Amino acid sequence: MAKFHPEIDLLTEYSAGTLPLAQAACVSAHLNYCAQCHRSIEQLEDVGAALFDGLQAEAVGEAQLDAVLARLDDAPPLRYAKPEHREVGRTPGILQRLMSGQYTDLAWKKVTKSLSISYLKTGDPDFEFALYHIKAGGRIPEHTHHGSEMTLILEGGFSDADGSYHQGDFLFRQPSDVHAPTALQSEDCICLAVLDAPLKFTGWKYRWMNPFLRLRAG
Amino acid sequence: MVESNEGNGWSGGSGRRTDEWSECLTLIAANEDRAAFTRLFRHFAPLIKAFALSGSNMSATHADELVQETLLKVWQKAGAFNPEKAAASTWVYTIARNCRTDMFRRLQKFDTPLSADDVTPEQESEEPFSQLQSRRRRERVREMMKELPPDQAQILAKVYMEGKSHAEAAGELDLPLGTVKSRVRLALQKLQIQVESYSYG
Repeated sequence: MAKFHPEIDLLTEYSAGTLPLAQAACVSAHLNYCAQCHRSIEQLEDVGAALFDGLQAEAVGEAQLDAVLARLDDAPPLRYAKPEHREVGRTPGILQRLMSGQYTDLAWKKVTKSLSISYLKTGDPDFEFALYHIKAGGRIPEHTHHGSEMTLILEGGFSDADGSYHQGDFLFRQPSDVHAPTALQSEDCICLAVLDAPLKFTGWKYRWMNPFLRLRAG
Repeated sequence: MVESNEGNGWSGGSGRRTDEWSECLTLIAANEDRAAFTRLFRHFAPLIKAFALSGSNMSATHADELVQETLLKVWQKAGAFNPEKAAASTWVYTIARNCRTDMFRRLQKFDTPLSADDVTPEQESEEPFSQLQSRRRRERVREMMKELPPDQAQILAKVYMEGKSHAEAAGELDLPLGTVKSRVRLALQKLQIQVESYSYG
């Protein structure tokens, strides 16, 4: 069960539909692992619905009703199979949609000996949406951010100076937090990172790479 | 002109009305019942139009389009509605919310493989929470909503009805972002929304 969750501001914006697409996709993937946040979202949607029910009604012409009735035949009610039970640990549906395959089928770009990155296209022009693969025991060079970094652990786990994180854990780092995550020794780690500005390596050994780490949004 | 049965004001405390809309959805799913659909339309179309026009950044033409799109989707998806796991009004609201998001992205020529339904699907309770329990919770939210201080109610309306991000709300109200966030938090606390406290950030 996930231990680290999006804070209430993010859940609120997610439930109101105002979170940017890439960030909303990351929160949605967290819900795949987290029954508590799932419940919170239901309650927040009830808040939206209560406001919705209380709106001052706007008159709608009878012609509108006729127009919709005329379109019903072209759009028959869909048949739904019994919904499959959500399995914890399964790859989040939203990522399956974006990847069309398994993690292993993706094009991985090797950045360091233990870190590879695969970029996914969400269409959000302001955020990079990428999967990071860190080899067991491998370390991401110490880095900081110009912007925010949302991270969700999909497989394995990693630790940094502040703690250790496992499948389903959700982290939201603010600009200028410096950290150097290390994958757990036991298995490789795959995580999703959503950034609005490129990473910036701080150690001398990797600083030369910074100019190559431009943001790949879209 | 079609008027909402309820007009403004909160729809009763008994939850009976909610059940009426659940029944309509069930009838649509079972028999493609047009009379049930018409009842739903007369109740929800004026609310959806109000939702579209709140924040007034949508033209009247687009508002009418949103009404049609949302109700067509309600018709098509009625079979996915499970009265034991969701409330009809919440379900319709989330469909309207998603249709609006998709419409805005379409108007902005956003090129994305994801629809709002992929990103914010209609939620279904995991556990078979008793219907009674969920209904009580919703009634409590509606009751407490009336007790909120105006500044908190105003922010919630901006966020949920006008579809403004916290940052946009702060800009419009000329308030610091931190103030907007704390008003939202205070409001949600009063409504007794439960959120996991162990979070990072």
